[in-house]
Amino acid sequence: MANWIFLIPLAPLIAAVVNFIFGRWYLRDRAHWLAILGVAISFGVSVAVVAQVARDEVALSQHLYTWIPAGDFQVPVTLTVDQLTAVMLLVVTGVSLLVHIYSVGYMHGDPGFYRFFAYLPLFVFSMLMLVLANNYLLLFVFWEAVGLCSYLLIGFWYRRRSAAQAAKKAFVVNRVGDFGFGLGVMLIFVHLGTLEYTGVFAQVGALPQGTITAIALLLFTGAIGKSAQIPLFVWLPDAMEGPTPVSALIHAATMVTAGIFMVARSWPIFAASPDAMLVVAIIGAATAFVAATIGLTQYDIKKVVAYSTVSQLGYMAFALGSGAWVAAIFHLTTHAFFKALLFLGAGSVIHAMHDEQDMRRMGGLKRHLPLTYWTFLIGSAANAGIFPLAGFWSKDEVIVGAWVGGRPIVAIVGLVAALFTSLYMFRVVFLTFHGPERFDAHTVHPHESPPVMAVPLLILSVGAVFAGFLGVPPERGVFHRFLEPVFSGHGAEVHHVSTATTLTFGLISTAVALAGLGLAYAAYVRGAIKPAVVAARLGPLYQLAYRRWYFDEIYEALIVHPLYRLSVWLWRVVDIGIIDGAVNGVAGLVNFTAQRWRRVQTGLVANYALAIALGTVIIVGVYLIVGSTLFQ
Amino acid sequence: MSAEVLVFDILGAIAVLAAAGVVLARNPVHSALALVVSFVNVAAIYVILRAEFLAAAQIIVYTGAILVLVLFVIMLVDPDNLPEFHGGRPVQRLLALILGLALLGEVMAAILTRTIVGQPGPWSPQAVAAVGGNTQALGRVLYSGYVLPIQVTAVLLLAATIGALVLARPDTPRVRALVRDTATISLAHPRGSEMANGVEPALPALAAGQLKLEAGERTLVMAKSGDDFLDQPVWGERHQS
Amino acid sequence: MSELTATHFLTLSAALFIIGMLGVLIRRNVLVIFMCIELMFNAVNVSFIGFAWEQHSLVGQTFALFIIAVAAAEAVVGLGIIMALSRRLDTVDIDQVHELRE
Repeated sequence: MANWIFLIPLAPLIAAVVNFIFGRWYLRDRAHWLAILGVAISFGVSVAVVAQVARDEVALSQHLYTWIPAGDFQVPVTLTVDQLTAVMLLVVTGVSLLVHIYSVGYMHGDPGFYRFFAYLPLFVFSMLMLVLANNYLLLFVFWEAVGLCSYLLIGFWYRRRSAAQAAKKAFVVNRVGDFGFGLGVMLIFVHLGTLEYTGVFAQVGALPQGTITAIALLLFTGAIGKSAQIPLFVWLPDAMEGPTPVSALIHAATMVTAGIFMVARSWPIFAASPDAMLVVAIIGAATAFVAATIGLTQYDIKKVVAYSTVSQLGYMAFALGSGAWVAAIFHLTTHAFFKALLFLGAGSVIHAMHDEQDMRRMGGLKRHLPLTYWTFLIGSAANAGIFPLAGFWSKDEVIVGAWVGGRPIVAIVGLVAALFTSLYMFRVVFLTFHGPERFDAHTVHPHESPPVMAVPLLILSVGAVFAGFLGVPPERGVFHRFLEPVFSGHGAEVHHVSTATTLTFGLISTAVALAGLGLAYAAYVRGAIKPAVVAARLGPLYQLAYRRWYFDEIYEALIVHPLYRLSVWLWRVVDIGIIDGAVNGVAGLVNFTAQRWRRVQTGLVANYALAIALGTVIIVGVYLIVGSTLFQ
Repeated sequence: MSAEVLVFDILGAIAVLAAAGVVLARNPVHSALALVVSFVNVAAIYVILRAEFLAAAQIIVYTGAILVLVLFVIMLVDPDNLPEFHGGRPVQRLLALILGLALLGEVMAAILTRTIVGQPGPWSPQAVAAVGGNTQALGRVLYSGYVLPIQVTAVLLLAATIGALVLARPDTPRVRALVRDTATISLAHPRGSEMANGVEPALPALAAGQLKLEAGERTLVMAKSGDDFLDQPVWGERHQS
Repeated sequence: MSELTATHFLTLSAALFIIGMLGVLIRRNVLVIFMCIELMFNAVNVSFIGFAWEQHSLVGQTFALFIIAVAAAEAVVGLGIIMALSRRLDTVDIDQVHELRE
């Protein structure tokens, strides 16, 4: 199968290119066929390749060509499928395929239909290349490419000012992280002279500790941007301006996990630097907690799910920071299922409510949208970590991983965040689907989505229920055995978790999740707790969470505003005053002299002849002086 | 002083005087005649310088062809178009004289101080005589080393002929002027308004007698281009004149 | 001065050339200017042929031949221009023509 790996990224690429070129004039409403076909081919080949990797337990690779052959420095374009990549391949192509199918219904009738089905396969191509790369430079290139696709898709409805702003924000914020990532890659190259994973991992242990920490932290900066960790998570909630399938695919299931993937991929570097690991764990835990508190207070259904995504990414990050590599990837995988499901379910709700996103104007939708309700409920429960759904297994394992990885405080923060997770997820469910109908029944007629949107929901909910069993029993499931070869060697620490610990944490997290469910039920169904009263009682704390911990305001005041002022100054003074002034001054000078000189241009041939004669005299005179013996 | 030098001096003096006549004569015809004299003398000098073929070519081309052409043009140009001989522009004249004298001084200085470098070529008088004379010798040189330039020259002459034809073509403005002030039937689009919204505007229906009446009022001609037509009244408009 | 030398015909050439140049600069009749240009062509030819004679080489004569051909072409076009000038602007006075301006 190794010789067919190239088909995995190529099929979506061809679909994207054809849709770009022919979509506008020829394909138009038929653009989705090619896109779905491309992604389906990609999925099929991925399954076959992964099957072989699973059977033979060796990494496959296919060398396509050498991109930069510069002496000793070689950047090959080689597609490598090891076990980690295999997991990502299945997640990316599988979720992409479902989202493509869902989008056919969701984007139906949109004037940019063809454009959507050109961007989406382009994203799939970039993401696949990102996971298939066998060196950091290729990874970086497609890291940027998925950022570009994200930008294009967030700003898909570019006529909407907010969408354009959000796209710009995502791009700029990501740039901050990517800058760090780029520096990290350069640092690797400077110190090791190679960028290929195998070479880097083999040599990285020999570097001084400070250098390894610097490299690891710089790489993690990229992950902070891409995977929306504190302090760069602000772009992800705004990214919900894009079409909902995009939110599901890019801003929940795949692209934002690129950072997690990259850190897991570079685990030998991180494992060699305990300081960097600590930073990763702290940032991950903080992100998980902060995003969960924000999620509690939001009213926009997509925003809540978005903050939930940030929070879950925080879980993955602190799992990485605790050395629980497999747990992080496991959570990534299950999260892809239930978060894509939640977003698509939210999209279905929004579709049914005629583009209403505020939960305060929903309610009682259970009767109108039974299928969406049940699938969304499954997704929420999985996200909340209710036994025995997917989220329970993976999240439990993440927390256990932090505990045994020597970070008990992080594990406790994770448990608290899990309580909030359960609370906000069921808050969404109850506010949206239960209780009285708070929308105007005369103008809004909720209707179930078409089958093309329903089928992906069903498939994803199956995944959300059963994906967790890949990791059963904990630490020794199919998933772990499959990934084991990747995360061994290079001085990997292996923590053996006792059954008692596993059981204890399983019970605790179940209790926490049920507590969240109960609180939400009490508050939003029974009305036993008045949320408004609680908010008033908490006062500043509630405001802090509701205002998203003032991150946007702080950035606005500290970075955006001064930069804006500087830009205006540069524009008014430097650009107009100096640069334009210089250009216009030169032009004015030329014009001025030309206006004087044009009088020479009499149009009279006699004057021109005279000038020619004068020139002749001068030239002959020069020749005489230079060449003749007369003056020598 | 050999006879050769004497003859050269006489011929040269006549040529220079004739050239001065070209510049000084009031009547262009006199200039042309002086030019003929000058050319013939120069041709004779060519003979002294053993360039017999070129002497013949000089007389045939210059005096035979070009000068006749010049005389024809003098005939064709309206005498009223000729400028006054005693025009103004004294400054120009003075400058011209100064420049002429300066150039003469420079060139004479160069000539008198010159030295010959380089070796004599192979075509000594004996060698020329050996191949049968100047014409044959020149032919050998031309058709051995200068085949391509000769062909380029042929193309040049063709281009000049075509250019002369284009320049001499009767001008069109007068024809255009004829078209003005007349009504127009055009196959072009009237002011670009036709086919607006994809529908051809209906031409005003004319009664049988009306057509004849209108045609009697103004001349009908064909417009050759849309530009002409823009000056014309559109269908249905009355001619305002 | 007993033998014919290059100095003779070079002097002749210079004299003819400068007379032609003066004519071009001074006269206003385009026809006369044209004739003066032909005169300058001839002056150059004299130089070429003289050098050819002095150096026992036929290259100079070949050049002169090409100059005669070019002069013929120039004559055809130049006279055509003069005709066009006379017809279109109704003048052959060089000072009346300033079409080259702007």
